Amino acid sequence: MNAPVPLAITEEEFQKFRDFFYRKTGIHFEENKRYFVDKRLIDRILATNNTSFRNYFVMLRFETSGKELQQLINIMTVNETYFFREEYQFTCLVNSVLNEIVTRKRPSEPIRIWSLPSSSGEEPYSLAIYLLEYWPRVDDYAIELIASDIDTTMLEKARQGRYDQRSVAHLPPPLLRKYFTALYDGSYQINDDLRQSVDFTQVNLSDLAQMRAYRDFDVVFCRNLLIYFDDTSRRIAAETLFNALNPGGFICLGHSESMSRITPLFKVRKFPEAIIYQKPR
Amino acid sequence: MKKILVIDDAATVRMYYRQVLEAEGFAVEEAGNGYEGLEKALTEAFDLYIVDINMPKMDGYTLLRTIRQEPTICATPAIMISTEGQIQDANAAYAAGANLYFNKPVRPESLITTARLLTGEHRA
Amino acid sequence: MTLIKKHDATGDAPREFRHQSRDRAGLLCQLEADAPEQRRWAALDLAAFSDAADALCDRLEQETQTPVREAILTSLIQIGGNPVVCGLMPLLRSEDAALRNQVIEALQQLPEAVSPYIERMLADDDADYRIFAINVLANLRHPQAPAWLQDVIERDDNINACAAAVDGLAEIGTPEAIPALTALPERFADDPFMQFCTQTAIRRIQGHGA
Repeated sequence: MNAPVPLAITEEEFQKFRDFFYRKTGIHFEENKRYFVDKRLIDRILATNNTSFRNYFVMLRFETSGKELQQLINIMTVNETYFFREEYQFTCLVNSVLNEIVTRKRPSEPIRIWSLPSSSGEEPYSLAIYLLEYWPRVDDYAIELIASDIDTTMLEKARQGRYDQRSVAHLPPPLLRKYFTALYDGSYQINDDLRQSVDFTQVNLSDLAQMRAYRDFDVVFCRNLLIYFDDTSRRIAAETLFNALNPGGFICLGHSESMSRITPLFKVRKFPEAIIYQKPR
Repeated sequence: MKKILVIDDAATVRMYYRQVLEAEGFAVEEAGNGYEGLEKALTEAFDLYIVDINMPKMDGYTLLRTIRQEPTICATPAIMISTEGQIQDANAAYAAGANLYFNKPVRPESLITTARLLTGEHRA
Repeated sequence: MTLIKKHDATGDAPREFRHQSRDRAGLLCQLEADAPEQRRWAALDLAAFSDAADALCDRLEQETQTPVREAILTSLIQIGGNPVVCGLMPLLRSEDAALRNQVIEALQQLPEAVSPYIERMLADDDADYRIFAINVLANLRHPQAPAWLQDVIERDDNINACAAAVDGLAEIGTPEAIPALTALPERFADDPFMQFCTQTAIRRIQGHGA
C-alpha cells in the first residue's frame, strides 16, 4: 500500500465548512482558529475513511442521521464540567433573574430551578452554593433545586458528591473549605447539607410523555446539551423545556450555544451579565 | 468607524455586503437569521442594520418590530432588502420599522449611498 | 439553609386540561380550544396520530400564536409523509412571513416526503414561491438537491431565484454545475452581485481560489 497522501484543508474548503458549521450551530470560527479547525477536520476525514475534504463534506452535509455533525460539534467545542463553570450566568441569576422572578411570587411559593444535564453534579451544587453565598434574599424563599440526567451512572456519582482537584479548582478557597471535606486521597467530599438540597432524577428530554411531569420551573439551566442533538430531537427538546417553564421563566444555554439555531419559542433578554432566554409571559 | 450589522441567511449575500461596505470604510458584523441579529443588536451597538425578510427562526419583519420596541436600540436606522418586489412588501417593511426598503439585488452604489446617509457618514 | 429538597421533582399535581381525553377525537376538539396552551398541548399530543396531519395543517393556517405553530410543526415533522408535505406547501404562499419561514424549516426536515414535489414547485409561476422552494432545497438532505439547484440556474429567469440557488450551490454544488455558474452572470446583464456570488460558488466547488 502506498503511503497516504497528506491531507490539507484549502482556504476555500475552510470557508465552506465555516459557513456550514455557522449555519447549523451559530458558532463562527475566526481566521485565527484555522489551525484548530483544520486539524480536527482532518482527524474526522481520516476517522470516517474518507480521502478528501470534498467526499467528507458531502457525507457530513447529506447524512440523514446527523451523527457525523454531532461528532464534529463534540470535538470543535470544549465540553467539560467543573464548579463555577461559566460563572457569569450564576452572577446573572442572583443579580438580575431571581429578583425579577420573585416580583411574581407569593412569599409561600417556592422558586424552582432545574439543572440538566446534571452530569456528575458540579452544576447543580454550584447553583446551590451560589444561591446560599450570593443571593441576599435566599432566606426569604423556599428554593427547590432539581437536577436531572439521562445517565444513571452520572446521577449516582452526583449523589455521592466526591470530586477531584480539577473539578473544584475554580472555587474560591473559603467556599471550598466551607462546603467540602478534603479527603486523604486528594479528592473533595461535598457536605451533606448540599447533597440533601439537590434532588437528582433520571430523565430523557426527548420523551415528551415522561417530560410532561416536569413543570412549574422558574429557571432552567440547560447548558451544552441541545447543541449535540440532531434537528428533530432538538426541536422536541425545545418544546419540552418550554412546557416545563412557568410563563416568564428563564432558560440558560451554554456559552457556545445560541437559541438562534434552536427555536423561536423564547424571547431574548439582555441582562448586564449575560443573554438569557425567557418564556413569554 | 461606523458599524453595520448585516442580517441575512444567505452566506453569499452577507459576504457581498461586507465586501462592498468594508471597501468604503464601514465595519461589518454578520448574523445568519433574525433571532441571532436581535441577540447581536442587544449585545453591541451598531449604527445601521441591514435586514433580509425571509429567514429561519425569526423573519425580518418580526426582528424590526422587536428592535423598535427595545429602548436601547429602537432609534438605530434599518434598511430592509428582500426579493419581494410588490408595493405592499415595501409598505410592510416601513410598517415594521424600516427606514428604507430595497429590492434584491441591490446595486452597490445604492447600498453605499444610503448606508452613508443613514449613518451620518458624509465622506466623499 | 433554606434550599429545600422536595421528593417530588415534578412540580405540583398535574393541573392539565382534562376537559377532553387524550384520544384522537378529544385532541382534535382541544386543537380548536380558545386557550392557546390547550391548543399547544393538543398539537403536541397529536404527533401520535398519523391521520391528524390534515387537521394540524388546517389549524396551522389560522393559528397566530408562535408556541402553538411550533408545536403543530414539531408534530407534523414527526408524523411526516406526503400528506404533511401536501398540507404544508400551500402555506408557502401565506402573507405571514413568520409562518412561511416556519414552514420552510419544517419541509427541510422531510427530505424524502418533499422530493416528489420539488420539480412542480420549481416550475411555479410565482417567483416568490419558487424562491421559497429553493430555500427548502438549499438546506435539504437529499442527494438530488445539487442537481435541482443546477436546473434552477440553467432555466429560471428570475435573478433572485437564481441567486438563491447559487447560494445553495456554494455549499452543495458539484463540479458539473461550474459551466452553468460561469454562464449565469451574462443572463443578468453582468449584475455585480450575480458576478460576485457565482464566483464565490465556483471557488467553493473547486475547493481552491480561481
